[in-house]
Order: sequence, then structure tokens, then C-alpha cells
Amino acid sequence: MAEARAEAQSPEEDKDTVCYVYGIVPADVATDERARGVGDSPVETVMQGKIAALVSLIPHDTMLGQAEDLVAHERLLDLAAAETPVLPFRFGSVMSSEHAVRDELLAPYHDEFLSALSEFEGRREFVVHARYVEETILREVLTENEEAARLHERIRAQGEEADQQDLVALGELIFNAIAAKREADSHTVAEAIAPLSVSIAPRDPRNEDDAVNIAFLVGIDHEQEFRAAVEEIAENWTNRVGLRLLGPLAPYDFATSRTTPEE
Amino acid sequence: MTAAANRRDRNTTTSDQEGTAQEMTTALQQTGGGGGASGGLADVIDSILDKGLVLDAYVSVSIVGIELVTINARVVIASVDTYLRFAEATNRLDLSSQKGAGMPELVGDTTKGVAKGKTRGVLDAVGEKVSDALHDKREEFERREPSRRRKGE
Repeated sequence: MAEARAEAQSPEEDKDTVCYVYGIVPADVATDERARGVGDSPVETVMQGKIAALVSLIPHDTMLGQAEDLVAHERLLDLAAAETPVLPFRFGSVMSSEHAVRDELLAPYHDEFLSALSEFEGRREFVVHARYVEETILREVLTENEEAARLHERIRAQGEEADQQDLVALGELIFNAIAAKREADSHTVAEAIAPLSVSIAPRDPRNEDDAVNIAFLVGIDHEQEFRAAVEEIAENWTNRVGLRLLGPLAPYDFATSRTTPEE
Repeated sequence: MTAAANRRDRNTTTSDQEGTAQEMTTALQQTGGGGGASGGLADVIDSILDKGLVLDAYVSVSIVGIELVTINARVVIASVDTYLRFAEATNRLDLSSQKGAGMPELVGDTTKGVAKGKTRGVLDAVGEKVSDALHDKREEFERREPSRRRKGE
């Protein structure tokens, strides 16, 4: 339905609108007419052969980047990913028209996109993100690191008069100790879950108290085991880390562009 | 919230009640009780700003530059401020243990199971904190105005 509408519109292309591209899906995907994308715009599909692009027509002078636009972009892709393979595009991908999307993006790279989609058939992304519980991790560091413990005692003895340099030194020791724990704990999680996933992509730590931030591509057949494994880790680390499992997501961390542009 | 795309041959629907991916966390969310600056928007930023396919890798002519407010990549940087924060937190540690405060009240709900409504409540709270946290970051916003290119122009 949506693609038929796109066809009908194309002869009289609106010069004042441009075509925002969310991602690429198999052609047998239908968009829900209630779905909303960036700028609260309706979402349509542009079809070409066996693939289709999820797009929105938006005014050419739209300024994007507000929180709701970012959320709309990801929400749409994640909802799609829950149902079907999807190749997500980076936020802010815009082409001049639906024609251009079909003729210059979908048609020339049809086979490439189709084969990439088949890689993601039955596989979805999950992100395991964990942050240390501050009190627990600080106690851990003080117990394990003699120098930190010594500094901490000295600062405590000095009370209000504590030397600024001691404070900075203690903080640096803790920062580095936590970084080492992050590395070790990330390895633990990766090793525990790797057998249940197709692929792993570490993400950069987001906060200084991040424990783990790893994206996993998981086959639907293994999702239950995967979730159970994550749950087990969370239970083992109760009161030590706050662990969240995000997903299923579109494969942001696994869908990568061809390295060399056509020209 | 509406389903974005349903595969016709699978006859599936994504209802409002099922929630978005961000909301689909389980009791895991509550086990640590850390909360803080992580949740909806921060996760979105991690996923869609510098990941996924890049249009420029495929198309050159008909890409349109639109005004994009972008957020500088957030990298964990060691700074004196961070060090002082850790040092001060360590000092507070002693106070709280003397008072026997132990784990904060956040843990209270852990045993109450996996009820989705509950989890969403927690997440919503986290989400608000995130937007507060991000508010500061927005001062680092950069305005990028890529060249406007259209086919035939």
C-alpha cells in the first residue's frame, strides 16, 4: 500500500520536501500508517525489487536533532527490527526525493543490501550495559588497593583539612582501578555470552562508572538462553553492578557500510 | 506508540503494551539499583549518531544536507573533577556506613518480580534523570551545516 502511494506521488515531485532515510528492509514489509518518524512525519516504504527503504518525506528546511527526533529514528528502526531484518542508517540521512532513493540507493546496491539483510535474518542486536554500584565498587577498590586505602585513611584523619593533592591522587587511583575492573568484567561478560551470540561488538564506556557496554548479535533461536545468561550475570553481581539488557534493537553495531564509496 | 513495520507473511503486531526496545528490559534493571545517567535518550545517542550505514558510502549526488544539531561524541575522560568526585564519594562512604545506611532504598523493589509496569516505572524515572544529565551536555552541542546538494542543481 505504502509503496503504491509513493509511486502515485512521484510524477509531481514536491521540491520543498526531501526524503529522510531510516533504513532498509525486505520488500515484504508493510509500514503501519500510524507509525511516526522524525518531525512526527508518517513513515512510508520505497520499494525496489526485493528490498525497500523506510523513509519519511519532510520539509527541506527541517532542522533535526531534537531529542524527539533521535528517539523517533531509533524507535522506528527498533520496532522494525523486532519483526524483520533491517539495515539501519545513521541519524540524519536525507536524499532529495523518493525517486533518488529508488534509483540511486536501492537499485544500484540492491544485491548488496539484499545479501546484508539475509545476514541479519533471524538475528537481532542486544546491548548489555552495566554500571557499578558506587558504594560497592569503592569498597572493593579500598580493600584491594593498599595505596588507595592508605590515602583514604590519611584523608579521613585530616578531615576538613584534607590535602587537595591527596584527594586528587586518591581519585585517580580509584579511576584507574575501576578502569581495570571494567576491562576484566567486560571480558568476563563477553566470554560468558559469546557462545550464545553470532557476533560481539564492544561499545565505548559511557560513564566513568560503566562496568560493561557490549553489543551482541543474537540468533532468535538462542535468545532465551542469551537472556538467561545475562540474567545470571546480573544475579551474580547483584549490589555490585546495575545491569540493563536493551533490545531487540536494529543491528546498529553490526551493519557496516561498504568501505569504499563508488567514486 | 505504533508498530513500525510488520512483516506481512508473519502476521505479527507490536502493540502499545509491549513497549519499545528501551522499555523491554527485565528485572535486570532493578537488581543493581544504580540508576543514573543511562536510559532512553542516552542509549539512543549511543546507537544512531555514529553507528549504522552511512549514506555517503553509497550515494553522492542526491544526498541532501539538512541542518543537523549533533552532539559531540561523549568519551569518558579522566579529569581532576572526576578524581575529586571519586575521592568525595569515598569519604561519604564512611559516613554512610557509620550510620548503617548500607544499600539505598532503591533495592527495596528488587524482590517484587518482573512486572512490566513496574519496570517501566523505574525506567521512566531513569529517563528523566537522563534528560537532566543530557541537558548539561547540550551546551556542547555543535551546529553543523553541511553543504546543500541536490541533483540537477
